[in-house]
Amino acid sequence: MVRVAEPVIEVEELARTFHTRRGLFRRPGKEIEAVKGVSFAVERGELFGLLGPNGAGKTTTIKMLITLLLPTGGRARVLGHDVVKDARDVRGKVGYVFGGDRGLYERLSGLDNLRYFAELYGVPPRESKQRVGELLELVGLVGREKERVEGYSRGMRQRLHIARGLLHRPQVLFLDEPSIGIDPVGARELRVTVKNLVESGTTVLLTTHYMFEADELCDRIAVIAQGRIVAQGTPDDLKQQVTTGTVVEIEVFGLPDGVLEKVRAEPDVQSVAVDVQGQAQLLTVHAQPGADVTQAVMAHLEGSRFGRVITRQPTLEDAYIELVNAA
Amino acid sequence: MNSLRLFFVGGLISYRALFGWLSPWILVPTFLFAPLFQIFLFVYIGRTAGVNDDRFFLIGNAVVNAAVPCLFAMGNTIGGERNAGTLPLLIASPAKRVPLFLGRALPVILNGFLVAVFALVVGALLLRVDLPPATWGGIAVAIAACSISCTGLGLLGAAVALRVRETAVMSNIVLGTLIVFAGVNVPVTAMPGWMQGVAQWLPMTHGIHATHDLAAGRSLGSVSGALLTELLLGAFYATLGLTLLRWLEWESRARATLDTA
Repeated sequence: MVRVAEPVIEVEELARTFHTRRGLFRRPGKEIEAVKGVSFAVERGELFGLLGPNGAGKTTTIKMLITLLLPTGGRARVLGHDVVKDARDVRGKVGYVFGGDRGLYERLSGLDNLRYFAELYGVPPRESKQRVGELLELVGLVGREKERVEGYSRGMRQRLHIARGLLHRPQVLFLDEPSIGIDPVGARELRVTVKNLVESGTTVLLTTHYMFEADELCDRIAVIAQGRIVAQGTPDDLKQQVTTGTVVEIEVFGLPDGVLEKVRAEPDVQSVAVDVQGQAQLLTVHAQPGADVTQAVMAHLEGSRFGRVITRQPTLEDAYIELVNAA
Repeated sequence: MNSLRLFFVGGLISYRALFGWLSPWILVPTFLFAPLFQIFLFVYIGRTAGVNDDRFFLIGNAVVNAAVPCLFAMGNTIGGERNAGTLPLLIASPAKRVPLFLGRALPVILNGFLVAVFALVVGALLLRVDLPPATWGGIAVAIAACSISCTGLGLLGAAVALRVRETAVMSNIVLGTLIVFAGVNVPVTAMPGWMQGVAQWLPMTHGIHATHDLAAGRSLGSVSGALLTELLLGAFYATLGLTLLRWLEWESRARATLDTA
């Protein structure tokens, strides 16, 4: 018998409309469809990315999945529990970390913040002490844990947020722009932490604006724009969806006349651009998807003096921008 | 076990977390000096008006000051979470709401009790009002009952904070209502009928009345009815508060007002 893995997060046509009102009397109402029927599924142990511009509906989707918002349409299940009917079951098994400075008790120490959230999540007292110690070590706050949070830097607060989200060993972790405001070293450490969590079996749903972060971490990505999912797949799948193929960048010292036209006339070349950089000219050639034009372009430059030659694949950022702009 | 820990440990930590905004520079004048000023004001008004019963004004104004932490700190259990940005985390936690919020009430009750006792003792010493030591125990029980019932009303205020952004204004109005209606400076029996009707449903009314009787030498048993009524009123408001919390929590998820009320 073939066992089919049941998704840990199942989202079907999930929708959320907000009603806003202005003024005091005869308040005119306005409806905003923040999420317009999104569907996706996340397997156990998977790191799933939700990418999209500001206001695309990422945070609203996460808020529905962690039971903070009731959907106005569709349904969602987390670990088999309906996010509306079985909210308490969902809450005990998921963790939630969001970016930014807020969401901590400023007057309490980092240690007391963790102790309190351990109580809220029903972590047994004996386990709580050990767990808090482990997490303080994990996020690098050992030695600073007895200081009040109001004196913490943004990065320290973010690391405390992460420790808080992991206190009760959640099976599913929702990370809503967790690296916002963290310095590059801290962000790298965070990525390592997230990778380790996934390796230990935690399912992670991540939203981020940093494409390299998504590319490095995510098994699969859904791109959401204007409340709808516009593309879904692995980072490589998404890169394949871009209309641009390989990009060749060549630094030339004295570009011969007529070469530009000859390169542009190559059948697999999609576009050519020249950028003057001091004494050199940077020739950027975008190839058709699946084609490699390096040799053909180099043939036209025979006899010229040139510096570095770079051939790169389209990045996730290229794919993201194209997908979002097309939405 | 978890519920008990949430009640005791969680309640104490959250009290430190949320009521901590009152630093000593605000806390001492608010809880220690302001009640004394209030007592002096009404005692001297009473003396000027020829009502020579300092004890009446001392008891009413001292006991009613238990309402300051009971109303404001309880209201802040939700309002403070909203200001700190922790309200969504609290709501998204699986913690049982009854021990969670009742636990938050416990340190507040103690705070209210201590504020009123301090005001009564220091006020009595400064104004040379005689409170026989034999009455101290009974008066302490009555003040505790008032603190409990008032915290029940504060819990109702906390629930309202799920719907409105600011609760301090509401708490001030409620405090003013108690000062006017609960027999603090005017005996309830001297009020018009409708005011007496309102007073019967307010925390403090029965407790302050019982405190007067106890200070006059009556036994604790003889005021047990009034104290029981006081406690039942507290339980009534606390139940109403917890019910409203449950309903408004659902409503805030439906209306998306957890961050934006």
